[in-house]
Amino acid sequence: MQFGVELTPRSEVPRWLVYATPVFTILAALAVSSVALLALDVAPLEAYRVLFVQTLTTEFGIRETLVEAVPLILAGLAVYLPLKAGLWNVGAEGQLVLGAVASTWVGLNVSLPAVFLLPLMFLAATVVGAIWAGVPAILKAKWDINEIITTLLLTFVAADVMSYLVRGPMQSPTGNFPQTAILPAAAQLPILPGLDVHAGLVVALVAAVLVYLLMTRTRFGFEVTFVGSNDAAAEHAGMSKTRVYVLVLVIGGVLAAFAGVAEIAGNQARLRAAFEPGYGFTAIPIALLGRDNALNVVLAGLFFAVLFVGGDSLSILMGVPAALIEIIQALIILFLITAEFFKRYSVDISTDLRVRGVRADAVGEDH
Amino acid sequence: MAGDDFLRMEKIRKTFPGVVANDDVDFSVRRGEIHGLLGENGAGKSTLMKILYGLYTQDSGTVWIDGRRLDADSPQDAIDAGVGMVHQHFMLVPRLSVAENIVLGSREPASMFREEADGSSSLLRSNRLVRALASRFTLGLDAPSAEIQDLADTYGFDIDVTAPVWELDIGQRQRIEILKALYRDVDLLILDEPTAVLTPTEAERLFETLRQLASEGLSVIFITHKLTEVTAVTDRVTVLRDGTTVDTVETDSCTRAELAEMMVGREVLFELDKETVSTGQPVLDVTDLHVEDDRSIEAVGGVDLSVSEGEIVGLAGVSGNGQRELAEALVGVRPATAGAITVGGRELTGSSTQAFIDAGVSFVPEDRDTHGAAGDLSVMHNAVMKEYRDGRFGDGVQLDYDAAEAYAQRLVEEFDVRGVGDVTEAEAGDLSGGNLQKLILARELDRDPNLLVANQPTRGVDVGAIEFIRDELLAQRQAGTGIVLLSEDLDEIFDLSDRVLVVYEGDIVHETTPATADRNRVSLLMNGGKQPDGDEKRAVTTRGEA
Repeated sequence: MQFGVELTPRSEVPRWLVYATPVFTILAALAVSSVALLALDVAPLEAYRVLFVQTLTTEFGIRETLVEAVPLILAGLAVYLPLKAGLWNVGAEGQLVLGAVASTWVGLNVSLPAVFLLPLMFLAATVVGAIWAGVPAILKAKWDINEIITTLLLTFVAADVMSYLVRGPMQSPTGNFPQTAILPAAAQLPILPGLDVHAGLVVALVAAVLVYLLMTRTRFGFEVTFVGSNDAAAEHAGMSKTRVYVLVLVIGGVLAAFAGVAEIAGNQARLRAAFEPGYGFTAIPIALLGRDNALNVVLAGLFFAVLFVGGDSLSILMGVPAALIEIIQALIILFLITAEFFKRYSVDISTDLRVRGVRADAVGEDH
Repeated sequence: MAGDDFLRMEKIRKTFPGVVANDDVDFSVRRGEIHGLLGENGAGKSTLMKILYGLYTQDSGTVWIDGRRLDADSPQDAIDAGVGMVHQHFMLVPRLSVAENIVLGSREPASMFREEADGSSSLLRSNRLVRALASRFTLGLDAPSAEIQDLADTYGFDIDVTAPVWELDIGQRQRIEILKALYRDVDLLILDEPTAVLTPTEAERLFETLRQLASEGLSVIFITHKLTEVTAVTDRVTVLRDGTTVDTVETDSCTRAELAEMMVGREVLFELDKETVSTGQPVLDVTDLHVEDDRSIEAVGGVDLSVSEGEIVGLAGVSGNGQRELAEALVGVRPATAGAITVGGRELTGSSTQAFIDAGVSFVPEDRDTHGAAGDLSVMHNAVMKEYRDGRFGDGVQLDYDAAEAYAQRLVEEFDVRGVGDVTEAEAGDLSGGNLQKLILARELDRDPNLLVANQPTRGVDVGAIEFIRDELLAQRQAGTGIVLLSEDLDEIFDLSDRVLVVYEGDIVHETTPATADRNRVSLLMNGGKQPDGDEKRAVTTRGEA
């Protein structure tokens, strides 16, 4: 008996498959996760109701999801844009952390009305974000030093810089906790009327639209697409690879730093030494899921926000261990990325009982 | 006469979504003949051969080998039935020796597990499970070098089978692929466009080899779209067009023009309409140009060159003598280490690629897939690859994709680029070689360049496209563009050029005109002044290849 698996790249992806795959894969991931939930005596359906339905139908759930989505969307864009030019910005976390540090410092030490102070905080984040991503960009463009390594290593530097500052120069004079003082009201992002969510949401959505327009309507977007697809041909066309590399990484670094500002000035109100949000790393699967266009990054960011917020409810309400929730989240990501593969390739599995090769019994009619 | 057919393929039909690649094709090959399979790109040659070799399964139709029916589901089935194939892209491991590469594909288990091996573990070896495991998980590379050397010598292959593959040149590597098939005892050898990677001298050696193999009783299928090769080496030829068999004829009974007509479906003019054009101002002036290759070794050493308006200067040379580096330096893609380049009276040495493009320099690169186009992107993206900065496509930072689409659509129509449905959807990488080359040429010519540098513009494209591309080059010359044409194809150089320069080892060694040139002398100089069969010599002097 023969058993064969044949992979053929699809020339075009059928339309129904584009929409059906994410649905099926999430269902499949949840089905696999059920095994673990059952082992812990948790009813899977009830757990998934808490995870998704409750998160998306209660006011609290929606608000928390939107708040969570802000840094995820911004960091997702910070990975998405360089990815379009073929670069992996895996250091969005470090750019985010430094954006939080710089804006917190400005917020605590400059006394201005909110209309001036908040832009100044974003400006400070712009500077550090641009530097933190610009260094790997120049190293990559000039000497072809792998940006995956440089951006990642700079993340550790950023974390240590923050740790030093929050335990030292920036530590709150009152109390012994390794944290800064609470930001003054003028340094906190206003709450959007009606939504009860901070204004960082507007920043994230505007950023997504701008990145979308940059990629689909501008000459620079054309260059980014071309360099990302074939950098040698792009250079033959007179495009500057250096310019594209530096600009996408710098813009990415600034967007990640904005995520840090939004998280501190909109949500946490002070910087703690334990600030390790992980948004910069979650941003990588977000960018991968949303890589078709920047607006999909928003959807992917919202999806991950639901997973995080729902995961918290699950652990609080049903006593599901945090580790298991991470497993469910990881399974969903894993299944989604696998699904991309099945979208691109058609798989035929055949079992065959007949003998292959030359058939001696079948002789031509003229012999 | 069907009796002495070794291979018969009857009414083979194969469809892909939207395309009938093979439409009831009949094809047969006699024992001991070299059979040409001729057709334009996309005529269905490769599909037919992939069915024979078990890479595709036909929708209907049967394959008979030596009177027995073959249902090949994988190349292994085809090999077992005596069919071997030499692909265009060689599948060799550079670090291993020739002999090791030859046994690699036959998947012998490690020597200690082989039946003929002696030693104390024979009991273990006879165990079926152990044997099954050994054949799957061990690999014996201890090749019988002597045996393989004998085989090579029998067929007159001048190869040291213990040499590592990376030391050998392209022609020798191809002979290893042939040897690989012979070692597996095939009766029918399929060669997929074997000369695409070879120099004319290497190709001639390949033909000798094939004639010898045929005289030993081996059948050879020679896939090509080059008419000169069909007439040079084949006994019979089958012409495919649009997935159907046009005819199978004795090669001697046909002229080149008749074959071309069968292949393209209309009369093909080999005589180009070359009108005299009075040359104008110089558009390119190069003095003492030095350029390095990717490994920082000097590839161009002190070239002087000047081209005037309305003039085609042909640079004849065997690939790897610095043409690629020279061409790239002329269009500002590769920096010159010394010397000066002046385009249209403006000194551009050391300027950016962009400055060269703005000065009206167009380029058809040798490697269209890596340098000429981005295969994953749409035809539209590739059509405006250079012009996207132009005011026609929006002002300021904005890029007007509607204008880009209309522009791409016009180029596709004017230059008859086929296989494009929607210019924003069709990917450039899905076009056939000839059509992609037409698209690139369209892009480079539509901007009415002052200088066009075309490196191997017709390599690997079909006859119809070759004719089209050559006509376009001549039309552009008429329009006053100065053209630098780099080619290995001497016919092309002589048909198109006003002046001919011979390039050897990064230098121009000879200058002549098509009217006064001694072709043998040019051919000799291209090969370094030695006899054209100096293959080993060439292996040493070839640079930047592989």
